[in-house]
Amino acid sequence: MGAHEKKIAASARRKRKLDPITQTVIRHRLTSISAEMGEAMLRTSYSQILNSSRDFSVAICDDQCRLIAQADHIPVHVGALPWALKSAKEAFPDAQKGDVVLLNDPYYGGSHLPDITALIPVFHSGRRLLWTIVRAHQSDIGGATHGAYNPDATEIWQEGLRIPPILLYEQGRLRADILEMLAINVRHARDFRGDLAAMVGAAHLGERGLERLCDEFGASLVEEAIEAVLDASEERAREILESWTDGVYTGEAVLDDDGRGREDIRIRAKVTKRGRDIEVDLSASDPQTTSFVNSSHANMQSAVAMAFAFLLDPDIPKNAGTFRPLSVVAKPGTLVWATDNAPVTLCTSHPSNEIIEAIVKAMQPACPERVMGGWGRRFRLAIKGHDARRNRSFIWHMFHARPGGGASANGAGWSSIGEWHSAGGIKFGSIEVDEARFPLLFRKHEFRLGSGGDGRFRGGMGVELELEVEAQGLINTAGDGARHGAAGMLGGGDGLPHSYRILRADGSSRVLKTKEVGIAIGPGDLIDVRSGGGGGWGKPAASESQLAPRGVR
Amino acid sequence: MTPSYRIGIDVGGTFTDIVAIDGEGAMTFLKTPTTPENQAVGVVDGIAKLAKTLRLPQSELLRQTTRIVHGTTVATNALLERKGARVALLTTAGHRDVLEMREGLKLDRYDLRTPPPEPLVPREKRFSVIERLRADGSVATPLDKASLVEATRKLKEEAIEAIAVCYLHSYRNSRHEKETFAYLRQEMPEAYISLSSEVLAQIKEYERVSTTVVNAYVGPGVRAYFAALEHKLAEAGYTGTLYIILSHGGVAPIEEASRLAAATVLSGPAGGVAGCRHAAHITGDLNLIPFDMGGTSTDISLIVGGEAALSSNRGLAGQRIALRSLDIISIGAGGGSIARAEGGALDVGPQSAGAFPGPVCYGTNGTEPTVTDANVVLGTLSTDRALPGREPLDKAAADRALDQLAKTLGLTRERTAEGIVEVINVKMADGIRLATVSRGVDPRDYALFSFGGAAGLHACDVARGLDISRIIVPNFASVLSAWGMLSTPLRYEVSRTHIGDTRGLDAKNLRALYDDLAHAATLKIAGKTPGEIRIQRSAEMRYGEQIYEIDVPLDDLDWESPNLMDEVTEAFRRRHEALFTYSLPDQDIVLVNARVAATSATDALPELPVSAAKGSDAAPHQRRIYLGHWREVPVYPLDALVPRQKIAGPALIEAETTTVLLKEGDHALVNRWGWLDIAVAAR
Repeated sequence: MGAHEKKIAASARRKRKLDPITQTVIRHRLTSISAEMGEAMLRTSYSQILNSSRDFSVAICDDQCRLIAQADHIPVHVGALPWALKSAKEAFPDAQKGDVVLLNDPYYGGSHLPDITALIPVFHSGRRLLWTIVRAHQSDIGGATHGAYNPDATEIWQEGLRIPPILLYEQGRLRADILEMLAINVRHARDFRGDLAAMVGAAHLGERGLERLCDEFGASLVEEAIEAVLDASEERAREILESWTDGVYTGEAVLDDDGRGREDIRIRAKVTKRGRDIEVDLSASDPQTTSFVNSSHANMQSAVAMAFAFLLDPDIPKNAGTFRPLSVVAKPGTLVWATDNAPVTLCTSHPSNEIIEAIVKAMQPACPERVMGGWGRRFRLAIKGHDARRNRSFIWHMFHARPGGGASANGAGWSSIGEWHSAGGIKFGSIEVDEARFPLLFRKHEFRLGSGGDGRFRGGMGVELELEVEAQGLINTAGDGARHGAAGMLGGGDGLPHSYRILRADGSSRVLKTKEVGIAIGPGDLIDVRSGGGGGWGKPAASESQLAPRGVR
Repeated sequence: MTPSYRIGIDVGGTFTDIVAIDGEGAMTFLKTPTTPENQAVGVVDGIAKLAKTLRLPQSELLRQTTRIVHGTTVATNALLERKGARVALLTTAGHRDVLEMREGLKLDRYDLRTPPPEPLVPREKRFSVIERLRADGSVATPLDKASLVEATRKLKEEAIEAIAVCYLHSYRNSRHEKETFAYLRQEMPEAYISLSSEVLAQIKEYERVSTTVVNAYVGPGVRAYFAALEHKLAEAGYTGTLYIILSHGGVAPIEEASRLAAATVLSGPAGGVAGCRHAAHITGDLNLIPFDMGGTSTDISLIVGGEAALSSNRGLAGQRIALRSLDIISIGAGGGSIARAEGGALDVGPQSAGAFPGPVCYGTNGTEPTVTDANVVLGTLSTDRALPGREPLDKAAADRALDQLAKTLGLTRERTAEGIVEVINVKMADGIRLATVSRGVDPRDYALFSFGGAAGLHACDVARGLDISRIIVPNFASVLSAWGMLSTPLRYEVSRTHIGDTRGLDAKNLRALYDDLAHAATLKIAGKTPGEIRIQRSAEMRYGEQIYEIDVPLDDLDWESPNLMDEVTEAFRRRHEALFTYSLPDQDIVLVNARVAATSATDALPELPVSAAKGSDAAPHQRRIYLGHWREVPVYPLDALVPRQKIAGPALIEAETTTVLLKEGDHALVNRWGWLDIAVAAR
């Protein structure tokens, strides 16, 4: 077939009306374009946090900032990307073909500083129709401490480099001076450049796929299909909502502390469910703090969307249609919506986890078969030091000892699986590989028996880790959940909270707090980690032994 | 002259396919129903049928048979249906839960209400043994005999049939596992014992323990099946060796397949890929996409430059199996995929009516419309004939099922049927994209190699959707897997972990490491084959901070060169650049696994005979089918096509168990063996 016949065939397709089949075909194509963008990121990124932990996400939005399609990576990004686009469009209302917008600032639609977002406008038939968006967690973003988590920060400037919406490329031309300015401000410039190139590449790949889709079906048919897809998703979400009991419900979740002595910081959710609509109001949450446990606005929106998505069906498309029945109310100056340049780096884990938990808790009477016991909290630990055997310095991030997941009406929770915000998306990797690469000896890494919350179905178990560091080093921590465990639901018990200690060679011991820097560790010392369990679901049966999770005897 | 036969046997879910090739290359093939409760019965039935077809007494046929190659789904089914052995696991104390932790990963991140899967070995059957090695292989804690004795006592108490043993760092030093084996063998002589250091001597404990457990789980069943089959064949008069095709596409003698039973989980589809690889060599078209569409699933893989793509990143039924296997992507889309209305839109699959109840038109109690029903409604699938052991298809039932769905969607019956086909084609095209684009391969540079019962009706549209311009359909498309097994060389692979910076390795050590491996691999196949043994060396390598290793072929290096190490690092850099578009000259390079494969180029298959079809002067029979509107199209019998004959679409080409649909603008050319070479019209 020559070019002429191809044109005729394409125009025949374009003249086609939107029927249920064309709609499905276009929906699958949009999904596979975003999946391809995600694959490209995995294959080409440099940092372990991206290619192993997959801490990135990709999305397609339309020019009205509506989420159209998204590849499943880390749930915490769901629903956050449209806020970044809003901010990018405000800064560059006339974004041109070939422009690449970059941003990370939590006060300009970002989540927290380490997450950089690249956005590319997609044009067809002379119009700006769509955007492809890639967000990726950088292994470093400058600031006072390596890797951005700084418990000592009292203002955002101490957390790293702030990037409001800027143009990295202007009509296809790289602004090299801007890239230079960014790269000089981060600790691993080479990895940073590599990861940034991978992000822009993946966004361009999506652009190409979308242009092709429009060539084939015509831009207006694609737009029509998108409307229909969003409407169908909305209808599905509303049908599910309709089956929940109407009412006004409240739920509360509690953070341990801000690391500066302020304890029991509360997130309060008031959820109003009426017919086919739902409103989440977080206004009654506690005021913001002076440390990094505050949430940015976009991150709060994302956490609410995540909670809603968890309560719907797992396979429902994550798009703007699905989220149409949901409205969110919050108050600036509270923990969930920090203002005045307060630090926010911990927010994608805390208070994300607590926001989700407060909402799920509130919904217990409304849809008991859908709520799940609380998932574990994040308590991260990084060790840096000098490895004398290999004569080199090292930094090791602990992804091991993952906490337990919550139980549900369908059965027990997953053990050693992660937090609400990652939900099994992060791999902890091989102990053998870590022992071959770092001066570490894992004496024990086994389920922490009895750590899952009691219930008709028990929460998943956390993990006991006994770790020897065979070198001199320093430990930094960042996290929460050493006082409050994952919540049980509908009469189920809470999971045990985290308990981290150092057992010194001299027989003494000390508790590791969740927000500390520079704790010395050396040969003969043992890090004793016991991660929290998931929340139980339902009242424990009178004879509960047969319902206890496997292996707990 | 006595013809010497080779027989390939592929046991599928529904049919057992048998292909026999004599010394002249003449091929005979047939299908017989599979006997799921004991696959050996169906196999022997099939051989009896084959003897009848060849007009030979069965014992005479088997006496004249030099080789039987078999593809089996015994291990596959044991895993899928969770019907394996009572298996236990011995682990390093302090690390009892590696298997169940699954590295902290869960597949669907938005599904927080599905409980975790039951591990193949539950916690109460995982026993700790006090011992510990370090990453360099040195002993941190010697094997504590008392803890082993205690664990063994419990194994006996639990009436365990199979035992997996996996200690930390045993890939580096297998001493503790071997001591454990010696004790277990003496205490439990009947048990099937798998050591991780023998199943997969590689770093990364989750992959090793999972693979070893799968091996122990399917091992006893596989071993018993092979013994029964060998016995039945011996009874029938076969005295030769029985070979099994493994997941990596090579064949191994039956005792090796019994020992490494986990390597047989993809034995079924492996034959198809092997067949496609052989087809690539005889046609000279070295870049092919094997496309095998069956009832419940479609298997897609890649032949690049005449070689099948391999991966160690595989699993089955949620179990991680890190042995190298063909990189086959299986998608839940096939003739049995069910169509339904969802939120006013049509969707198809992944639910499947399977072999039972099957599509509505099978008349075996299916009620939901499937892709096969849609094809019957459209007239592309004939209702005049029946598959072996089946009733003819029921068109009226298919019509009724489609009408119901059409009403819900507010469409006509025909448009609904057409839509079902269109949607399933998009899904299959997605599967091909996953197998190609996501591996950096442009599908437009490849020809689609179409086989399996259902592929022919969909191949042209699937290819068109991907801008693939060429399709090859062999005339024995429905038994390609069994044929493929006969074209496969003997192959044995060994690997060893040598994690280390390449700067710390010298040429002498590297040569010694690979010589050792080559010796071990050669020993395994020496004496089994008259042919020459070929050694292939490769390494899995990465940059220091990366986590995904890439496979680097090392055969083209000068192994005697004093600068061998520089050549190795250079080979890695070139490969990295080819795969990912960049390399990092100033970064450390790590060699993780050294691999050697020994392959015997067995006496090659005789050439395929040229088609002897005479053709027919009669005009082809016509049938009414729906292609946007109802129209008559010619129907050609595949067997009667003459080399160089040309067929222009729209047309149907039919064989007993497969039908090919050409649309307007598609052209098929018949090659000298009677295969179809289709030029696909652009979209």
